[in-house]
Amino acid sequence: MGIQEQYRNEAAELLSSGAVKLVIGYGGGSTPDRRRPVFVRSAEEVSRLVLDSYCVANLSAYLISEGLLSDGKNVAVFLKPDGIRSVNILSAEAQVNPDQVVILGFNIEGEQTTPLPGRKAADYAPLMESLRSSGLSPELQREADRLEQMSAVERFDYWKEQFAKCIKCYACRQVCPMCYCRRCIVDVNQPQWINTSSHTLGNFEWNIVRAFHLAGRCVACGGCDRACPVNIPLRLINHRMSKETLDIFGHFPGESADQKPVLATFRQDDPETFIL
Amino acid sequence: MTRILLNSRLDDCLSAWRSAGYRVIAPSRSNNLTSFDEVASAADMALDLVLPERTIKDHFFPQTEPLVRYEIKKQQIDTEEMLPPDDKRVFFGVRPCDAAGLDIDDPLFGWDYKDQYWFKRRENSVIVTIACTKADPFCMCTSVNLGPDNPKGSDIMLHPLKDGRGWQMVTLTDRGKALLETVVPMLQEDAAETASLANVPVKFDVEKAMTWLADPANFESHFWKEISQRCIGCGSCTFLCPTCHCFDIQDEGDTYSGIRRKNWDSCSFAMFTMHTSGHNPRNTQSMRWRQRIMHKFNYYRGKFGVNSCSGCGRCTRQCPVDMGITETLQEITNTAK
Ligand code: SF4
Ligand code: SF4
Ligand code: SF4
Ligand code: SF4
Repeated sequence: MGIQEQYRNEAAELLSSGAVKLVIGYGGGSTPDRRRPVFVRSAEEVSRLVLDSYCVANLSAYLISEGLLSDGKNVAVFLKPDGIRSVNILSAEAQVNPDQVVILGFNIEGEQTTPLPGRKAADYAPLMESLRSSGLSPELQREADRLEQMSAVERFDYWKEQFAKCIKCYACRQVCPMCYCRRCIVDVNQPQWINTSSHTLGNFEWNIVRAFHLAGRCVACGGCDRACPVNIPLRLINHRMSKETLDIFGHFPGESADQKPVLATFRQDDPETFIL
Repeated sequence: MTRILLNSRLDDCLSAWRSAGYRVIAPSRSNNLTSFDEVASAADMALDLVLPERTIKDHFFPQTEPLVRYEIKKQQIDTEEMLPPDDKRVFFGVRPCDAAGLDIDDPLFGWDYKDQYWFKRRENSVIVTIACTKADPFCMCTSVNLGPDNPKGSDIMLHPLKDGRGWQMVTLTDRGKALLETVVPMLQEDAAETASLANVPVKFDVEKAMTWLADPANFESHFWKEISQRCIGCGSCTFLCPTCHCFDIQDEGDTYSGIRRKNWDSCSFAMFTMHTSGHNPRNTQSMRWRQRIMHKFNYYRGKFGVNSCSGCGRCTRQCPVDMGITETLQEITNTAK
C-alpha cells in the first residue's frame, strides 16, 4: 500500500471515529504539478486527498485560522518536518494546544514520499535532533555564501535591489504559520506606525520588521519565498537570522513544544554580543 | 498587401521612436522577475514570454504614487500638486489581455471626475500589442469574450509572421497611426502569411456565471465559504491583476508637512473595509472573495457595461494556494449552482 492510500485510510478512520473534526491535507491543483490545500470533513471525501512529492506547502498555517481550535475538538493535518516544528513553536507560544493536533507526518526526498511514524508533535522529538544539522539546498547555500562574502555596502545594495520589487501584497506574511498576529504592526493605523507606501524605504521597513519578528522562529519551510509574487529570495534573510540565533544562543526553533522563545527569554549566561 | 515590420528593423524603430521623443517600454527579464521596463534595444526585450509576471498597469497606476505635497503653516496650508511627467511612451510587446485591462479601467478612472494621474499617462502612451501565438494553462481570455488577437485597448496590433521574420502591423487608432508615421521607412509592403493564433480553450460560461451572480439568493450561498476556504487573504491576485484598481490615500510625513500618496489596496485584506469603530462589514475571507468576484462580474458591469477581467490568468498563475477566478467561475457554471 502506497503512502497516499495509507494516509487516506487513516484520515477516514480519524474522521469516522470522531477523533478529529477535520483533516487538512493536499488535493490536486489546476495543473499536474500543482497541489492545493483541501479541508476534508467526512470519511466519504478522503479520496480528494493527494500525497506525493509536490506536497511542499506547510499547512500548519491553517491551524491558526481564527476560531478553528476554540471548540476543543481535534484537527488532523499533513505535515513535513518543518510543519511539525511550526506546531511546536505555535504550542510554545500558546497559539495552539498540541493535544488538539493530530499530525499525519511525511517526508519528501527527491521523488520519494515516506511516512513519518508518530501522531503527536512530541513523538517527533528524535527527528528534531537530527534536523538541527540540516542546512540549505546546495543552490541556496551558494547564494547565501555569495552574500556572506560581500561587503556590508554590497549586501545592502543587493537587498535594496530585491526589496525594490516588493509590492506589499503581504503574501509572505499570510502564508507563514509564524505570522499569527491578529493585527500585524503594519496594519496598525491609529496612528499608522509604518508607511503603507511600497517605495524603497517602505519596503525596507516592511521586510526588516518581518525578518526581526521571524528571528529564531522561522522553520525554513520556504512558504514565504514560494508565495512572493515578485520572487524576492526571502529564505536567505530568514536563514541568516536563524543562523545567528543558532550560533549565539544554540536555539533551533521548534525542536519541542516547551522550548522557550529565544527573543523573549533572558538567561544569565546569554552572550552579550549584539544579535545582528 | 500589408505593412510588415521585420525583427531586423526593430532596433531602427526604437531609435526612431526615441528621436521622436518616446520612451520605449517592453517586457523584460531583470532581477529574477519579468515585468515591463524601459529597454535600450530589442535584445533587452523578452518577447518570448507568454506574459510577464507583472502587468503594464504598473506604468499607469503605480503601486505608490505621490499626489500632492502639503505644508501646514500658521495661517495657511500650502499645497502643490505632483502630476506625473508628460513623457511620451511606447509600450511594445503588450499582450491583448493587458491592453484590454487599460480599456476596462478607463471608465472607472474617468467616472465622477477625470483622474489626471491615470489619463495623463494614458494620453501620452501608445500601446503596441503582439497577438498571442502561444498560451499557457492559465490563460483564459476566450472565457471572458476576448481573445489572442482582440484589439481592445491597443493602438497597433502586430500579428507574428508564420516564418518568424517579424510582424504584420495593423494600426487601430489615431495614436497608433501617428506612431507608425515615425517608422514608415523601416517597414515594407509585403504579402506574408501570419502565424496561427494561440488556442485558448474556453474554461467557463461567463454568461451563465453572471446570471448566477446576479441572483440575490446566491449572495449568502454556502458556496462562497467552500470555495474560499483555503484563501490566505494575501493581495497577490489583486496586485498582479491588470484591471484591479483599488487604492488607499495616505499622508506620509509629520503633522506639518508631507506628501499625500495613492497606494494600492486590496479587497483581499481584512483592513480594506475595517471601520474606525473596529467593526468590519466584510469580516471573513469568504466575504472578501465574494466581493472580488461580484465586483468583477456583476457590479462593474452594472456601472460601466463591461466585466472587470481581461482573462490574463495571473490570479490563478500566482496564487500561493492555487485559487483564482477560473476555478470559481468554473465551479459556478459547471455545477449549475
Ligand atoms: S518565515 Fe517563511 S520560511 Fe520561515 S516559517 Fe515563515 S513562511 Fe516558513
Ligand atoms: S510576498 Fe514579496 S512582494 Fe509580497 S509583501 Fe512579501 S516580500 Fe513583498
Ligand atoms: S485567492 Fe490566492 S492570491 Fe488571492 S488573496 Fe486568496 S490566497 Fe491570495
Ligand atoms: S481577475 Fe484574474 S484573470 Fe481576470 S484580469 Fe485579473 S488577474 Fe487576470
